[in-house]
Amino acid sequence: MAAAPVDPARPARPAPTGPPLPSARSRQRLTTGPVFLLMVVVALVMLYPFYYLLNNAFRNQTQYDQQHGHSVAGWTQLFQNLPVGSELLNSTIVCAAAIVIILVVSTSSGFAFAKLRYRGSGTVFLLVVAALMVPLQSIIIPEYVNMAKFNLVSSYTGAVLVYAALGTPFATFLMATYYRGISDELIEAAVMDGLSYERTFLQIALPLSLPAIATITVLQFIQIWDDLLVGLLFLPTNDRTITVGLAALSSGRTTSIPVLMAGSLISAVPAIGVYLIFQRHLVKGLTLGMGK
Amino acid sequence: MRRWKLAAAAAATALLAAGCGSRSSGSGGTAASPVTITIWHNYGTEQNATALNNLAKAFEKLHPNITVTVVSQPASNYFAQLQAAAIPKNGPDLAVMWTGLFTLQYKSFLKNLKGQVPASDLARIDPNALKWTSDSFNASNGPYVIPLENQFYIGFYNKSDFAKAGVTSVPTDWNQLYAACTKLKKAGYTPMVYGNGGQPLGATFYPWYDMSYMMIGAYSVSQWQGLYSGQIPWTSPAVAAQLGNWTKLHSSGCTNKDVVTNTNNLGQFESGKAAMMVDGTWDTQKFTSALGSKVAAFVPPFSTSPIKGVVDYAGDGLSEMSYSKHPAQDAEFLSYMTTPAAARIINAAGLIPAITGTTTSNPVNQQMLNFVASDHLTVFPMLDNVVQANIVSAGQKFLPSVLNGTQSVQAALQNLAETHNQLPSTQRGNTFP
Amino acid sequence: MAASRLTRRRRRAGILLSLPAVALVIAFLGVPIGQAIYYSMTSWNGLTSTWIGPSTYSTALSDPIFWRVLENNALLLLCIPFALGIPLGIAALLNEHVRGWRFFRSVYFLPTAVSWVVIGMVALQFFAADGTLNKLLADLGLGSTATDMLAGSHSALAALAITFVWSMLGTNTIIFLTGMATLDPTLIEAARVDGLARRQIFVRVTLPLLTRFIQFAFVITVISAFSALFSLIFVMTGGGPGLGTTTLEFFVYQTGFAQGQFGTGALYGIILFVIMIFVGLVQLRLIKPADEEGS
Repeated sequence: MAAAPVDPARPARPAPTGPPLPSARSRQRLTTGPVFLLMVVVALVMLYPFYYLLNNAFRNQTQYDQQHGHSVAGWTQLFQNLPVGSELLNSTIVCAAAIVIILVVSTSSGFAFAKLRYRGSGTVFLLVVAALMVPLQSIIIPEYVNMAKFNLVSSYTGAVLVYAALGTPFATFLMATYYRGISDELIEAAVMDGLSYERTFLQIALPLSLPAIATITVLQFIQIWDDLLVGLLFLPTNDRTITVGLAALSSGRTTSIPVLMAGSLISAVPAIGVYLIFQRHLVKGLTLGMGK
Repeated sequence: MRRWKLAAAAAATALLAAGCGSRSSGSGGTAASPVTITIWHNYGTEQNATALNNLAKAFEKLHPNITVTVVSQPASNYFAQLQAAAIPKNGPDLAVMWTGLFTLQYKSFLKNLKGQVPASDLARIDPNALKWTSDSFNASNGPYVIPLENQFYIGFYNKSDFAKAGVTSVPTDWNQLYAACTKLKKAGYTPMVYGNGGQPLGATFYPWYDMSYMMIGAYSVSQWQGLYSGQIPWTSPAVAAQLGNWTKLHSSGCTNKDVVTNTNNLGQFESGKAAMMVDGTWDTQKFTSALGSKVAAFVPPFSTSPIKGVVDYAGDGLSEMSYSKHPAQDAEFLSYMTTPAAARIINAAGLIPAITGTTTSNPVNQQMLNFVASDHLTVFPMLDNVVQANIVSAGQKFLPSVLNGTQSVQAALQNLAETHNQLPSTQRGNTFP
Repeated sequence: MAASRLTRRRRRAGILLSLPAVALVIAFLGVPIGQAIYYSMTSWNGLTSTWIGPSTYSTALSDPIFWRVLENNALLLLCIPFALGIPLGIAALLNEHVRGWRFFRSVYFLPTAVSWVVIGMVALQFFAADGTLNKLLADLGLGSTATDMLAGSHSALAALAITFVWSMLGTNTIIFLTGMATLDPTLIEAARVDGLARRQIFVRVTLPLLTRFIQFAFVITVISAFSALFSLIFVMTGGGPGLGTTTLEFFVYQTGFAQGQFGTGALYGIILFVIMIFVGLVQLRLIKPADEEGS
């Protein structure tokens, strides 16, 4: 494969000559301290829920009521009441399948709407993005009835399709935004070289869009993983996701908060994992895009 | 764990069977061929869930060819889920259903059990319970729900707190309550604690326990029908007077300051810091475990004359879906729920069985039964089960702020009255639907 | 001519590549919305639907509760500048590449991975009368300003808004950071060489180059505020006290799911949809990126 494509719109410009401005460097050193401090403060604010989560996931009910003491009682109860392992697996399957569909569909259409104008494509694009505004609660009942009619609610299929449809508008919007940043000349040059537009998409545009792909993957994974309503209605009981399972822990009157927190802690781990994994690709993609 | 695998296999079989059954001409199954019935509940993991699971297991032992799959559904969206599943007939065979107007709201996909469950079995159930699950609340119309338990909205108090504060007798009216509060406050206790512990996530305290008792103090059981139909508007002076007395609880310091946001009321009662709490039988076992013999039940004295009624009501049970493909087996399970063996299982889970002639082993629950049996207090239903759903939601939204003092009694009652006026006429007739 | 052949090829490729997305959206989002429009004019409890007609809309729009709910949505919009401004600042901070910035970048995004249930419960603890906020105030010597934010209608909405802004920090920071990473550093260097101060560089060079991303974050944030807060509201306040935190999205859920009136729920859902489209259009007009070729 050829080396990373060079974007002719951004030719390498020689760095400014002359001695480095000393004031710039010392300005840098001056602001390092406060910047670092600020970052720490923000980090503490961000991490607060994890403190709460960890604290209360290791309590039993009385300890929770009185906010004092720790135990692992909640964990035994959690595993007794929920098939945690299989529900985690279900969540993973549903997420993975839906995200694959979303990526395939949104990268191709994002490219089309950004670069391959046809008559009416602007309107179609607006319609697709407008679908982002469709409130889930209004369509979910008719959606469920439709899916049940086509017998798509007895396994993962129905839920995966609905999740894919729900995530497509956002993903398409993001990809189109990203692809607009690629210069037209790059595309036209490839086409002049004899590549079809479809191939141009696959070989030129797609590799350039890894950061956006990573972003979509992470955001959609979290959204789908944490979703309740679709999973509740569209998945049969033994294909349940962990989020639905956790919701079933609470009755109309009482919820054992420590058990719920224990479950939420487990549920948060994959999402964090996905982020940490794709984060590296995010960085790689970013430096690739900037690399000369 | 093994039980789960069994349940999963059973569920898979059920799904396969359901898939095949929809194409072939009706299954039903003979007495010999294995059948699986599915039960949905919204009980979470608490006592009711334990009772139901144990009932299912015991039933399976008696009927080896019937497998019972109990599925726990999230409580939040439970009824919407049932409604949605009824459209493509995708739901369970049996499902937990709340009684009163809830039953009547969803009866379009519930089976009338008259003739389904033998009358002899129905006769074993507390007659007071069955009527609230039938059309027009008349038991002869046939019930839609077999109740799981008898519940009470009730007050709990800490006997040792009372003793230490010098409260010698349990208050039976507003003035005695205020007096008791003064003494308790002087002794350093929170006299009455309110909070959203024991409520669904995000809710405030449920105002309908208190509201039920305020309406007991203002009206008789038959008059409650007037609240439903509008003959007694929510803005009536009697109602307003009761609410006025109620807010005095907060303004006089009888309750904690943060009634609307306190998350720790259960803990505060269990630790003895709070002396009184208005709650229900679902927490009795919790309190007796935490406080032992220090906890006792009392009737919330929200009345100007000695309070004369108690909320004793079968709030939920099981009903059969009208589209169930296993009516014979469903009926067998429902019949089983009325047996003494079932009553023992229900009692063992800390609940009060709704079957006549049975006893309860928790002493505080027995106290509540004695309010009716020995003290001859009038039995009232839960108010929120016999007024319209929109009124219940409106009350949930506005009444807690009334106790808090941030909303006036007039404004809140005006809201209820307006909600009532906007109801279609079919929902506020002179008889129950 | 070669040009028109190219145009035709481009058009064909465009249709081909955008077809799957359009098909998916129409089948699974378009059709149900059409059905919802139908049901919004009926009284539907799932099994029986009684046709009422467009008068359902006039009834709904004349309900004072509906307008109170809309007011909540409008008030919620007031926090959007914070939901965008703070992440811009944080992204700028991270972009300084001070030592350890990669670690902090990872950390800032973590809250997004936590479910709304946990965030809601933490918020409950935070804003409670004996909660963390008041403890902090007391520690700072401001004990007299102790609040019980979730007890009053408007203060509860403020608490919700604060929690919402907090929850969007991670996502928006990543968006802006991604945007800043695509900026040509030579442009920044050139400006610095030209003698512009740091702040001027940020305002006059960086921000305009980030317009695409700011627009994106703006749209996403408002959409989240209007249609993704349901779980948070559910756990934090249940829509209360009174109607204080009942946004239109929550109201849709309440009428549809909690009260089982699927038709009315669909109706408010359609209204929400229309409002969001309108707001979206306004947003896209407000912030037009420099390189927008007109869509």
